[in-house]
Formats: sequence, C-alpha cells, structure tokens
Amino acid sequence: MKKDLKNIIEALIFVSIDPLSLDKIKDILKEFPDKEIDRAAAELTDYYSENKRGITIIQASGGYLFATKNEYDEYIKRLLKHEKKQKLSREALETLSTIAYHQPTTLAEISAIRGVDASHCLKTLLEKKLIKIVGRKKSPGKPLIYRTTKHFLTYFELNSIEDLPSKEEIEKILAEKYEEE
Amino acid sequence: MEHSQTYQINLEVFQGPLDLLLFLIKKKKIDIHNIPIASITKEYLKYLDKKKNINLERESEFLLMAALLIHIKSRMLLPRETCEEEEEDPRKILVDRLLDYENIKAACKILREKEEEQIKKWKRTALPKTVSFQELDFIEVSLFDVAEVFFHLMIRKEKDGIKVIKRKDFSVKEKKQAIIRYLKDHSYLDFLEYFGSQKTLEESMVAFFCLLELISEQTVIAVQESLFHRIKVWLRSEVTE
Repeated sequence: MKKDLKNIIEALIFVSIDPLSLDKIKDILKEFPDKEIDRAAAELTDYYSENKRGITIIQASGGYLFATKNEYDEYIKRLLKHEKKQKLSREALETLSTIAYHQPTTLAEISAIRGVDASHCLKTLLEKKLIKIVGRKKSPGKPLIYRTTKHFLTYFELNSIEDLPSKEEIEKILAEKYEEE
Repeated sequence: MEHSQTYQINLEVFQGPLDLLLFLIKKKKIDIHNIPIASITKEYLKYLDKKKNINLERESEFLLMAALLIHIKSRMLLPRETCEEEEEDPRKILVDRLLDYENIKAACKILREKEEEQIKKWKRTALPKTVSFQELDFIEVSLFDVAEVFFHLMIRKEKDGIKVIKRKDFSVKEKKQAIIRYLKDHSYLDFLEYFGSQKTLEESMVAFFCLLELISEQTVIAVQESLFHRIKVWLRSEVTE
C-alpha cells in the first residue's frame, strides 16, 4: 500500500508541467492520510537524489517537478538542437531582484534604487513572464504595480519568496567582496 | 592621463550613476556612511567635463546625481533654523539607496549562481508539444487577440461597402461543424483569410462566435508564429484522432 502511494505520487508529478504542490496531491489523494503522503513524497525525492538517475525531482515554487540532472545538459541540448539557453542580462537580473525584494513595487521605485531607468528591463521581464502587473497604485499618476511570478520561483528553483538570498547570505558576499579589495 | 584612463575603461561596465558613485567611493576607500560630498562631486564633475561623446540619457542621470550631491552638500553647509529638531541627515537617503543597491547586487550574485544551475536542468516544458508544432515556435493567443483581429476584419468588410444583409439564418452548430470540417481538410485555417471568404457580415459574425466557442471548449487552438503575426487556427490533436 505504502509503496503504491509513492508510485502514485511519482506518476502525478510526472504528468505535471508546472510544479505540483503537496496540497494539491493531498487534495487528489483523499483516501490517503496526509502524514503518509508527506512521508511518501519525502521518500520519493530522497530516492531520486540518492540514486544514479538521469532525472530528479526538484522542489520549486511550492511544488515538485521532474527535471533532468544538470550534468546531462549537453546531451539534451544535442537532442533539442539548442545552442545555449539565454541567461538574463545583468541589468535584467538586477531589476528582477529589486522587484523581488521590494514587491509590490513601481517603475519609479525600481529606477530610484538602481539609479537608472528600468522601463526597458521591465518589458523584457514581463515578456519572460518573470514578473507581472498586479494593479495600479493609488498615488499620483496611478503607476503600475509589479510583482514576481510563480515562474520566477521556478526559474531560480526557489520554493517561496522567503527563499531569496537572506540578509546573512548577502552580508557574507559583501564581506568577501571587501576582503578582496 | 592615467587617472582618466582608468575611468574610461571601468565605465564600460557601469550602468548608472549609483554604480559610478559606488566605484568612486571604493576608489577613495571611503566608508559608505561618511561620504565626503565635496570631493566626490568634484570627481564627478571632472568626469563629466572629460566626456566627449555625450549619451544624453545616461549623462542626464549622472547630472541628476551630481545635483543631488551638491544639494546635500549645500544643505549641510547652511545653518538651518530647525536644527534643534534633530533633522534627518540628508546623506541618509543617499546612503540608504547605496546600501540597498549593494545588497541587491550581492543577492544577484547568488541568484545568478542559481540561474546557472537551473538552466542546465531541463523540464518537460522544454519538449516540443506535438509533431506538427515542432518547426515553429508558436505563441498561443488569447481571445482578446482573436477579437482584435476580428475588429480589423470588420473594418475591412465595411470598406467593401456592404449594403444589404440578406435574410439567411446561420446556425452556430452547423457553422461549427463546417469549421471543423474545414480544419480536417486543410489542417489549419488562416484567421484573416477564412473570414475574408465569408459572404456576409452575418455569416462572418456567426463564424467568429463559433470560433470563440471552439477555442473556449478547447476543440481548436489559435496560435501565432510571433506577436502581431497572422493567427492560425489548428484542431487540437486529440480531436483529430
């Protein structure tokens, strides 16, 4: 029975294109107690990370998702005839993380923090579906309000917005940086 | 001059005045909390003087920053009546922003590492959807896009000068079947062409409603090769089988 549950969860994750959350799994598998589902899901992810498999289950955006292990990147690129995946530009990444830390936020706020006009970057990020417009601020000019999307979390393999680099991590980087100089 | 040379080189990697300011602060090995406004402003203006090719957008931001620095400086020099009230240090705004920006840049370093890892992990979304879609990277369009094209079409039809609408009833059900039949024969339907071939306004209206219904009940899919491109309608593969 227990082994079966693990297989069921594996199958559910397999067919999901977007990260599948534990809540959703529990909702679907009402006949199983929540605790057993938790345990089976944990065992399943352990199994994939411990065993020598080409694929693994990642946790991102509050759910589980099948992905290939990164060491097989070059073979997949051959199959899909992909030269290389485009990384975000420096400006786009800075704009994106400004939004992530200050959301909900507006163009004016983002531009002020970065010291440059960010409107072009916003367009790129919207196109990539890493950010979304959630409304308009009730202030002069009624500026648009931006937030990061679920896809943003998946993109950086973050489970939630709390998983963004913490104050301590940032301070560590800054300390290293100043030591170098 | 060696001094100005280092400036020029480093400027290639700069994006904005905050970058420049950070750079100036580091160059002088200045504690961020104790910005000697005067010397930084001087360097700033010196830099602006030397710049031969002016990129208006970028330089205006530099100037804004220089103005802000001078403004802060002047406020600190002039005695103020309200000084007893423990007025906020005007440098604080600037320092806060700089610190904030430094934090963001540090966070970006971590995020970049995550991105690099993540980009190598392929998800199932990377797979081509069906065989027929393999060659072209389609964008699925929303009902709004379809509607917009329809309005264009209506305007075009209007120009054709339709005068009389003949009394002929079109059944949505029949038209839907006709569209599916058309799709089975032709594999896809070019949105503009198809409506162009409709004889009357009423008929195109009915066809349009049918199409909207077919899209919403997921029998067909409307796709574009890229934004503002022609919309093509395909039968979803499940239906064909």
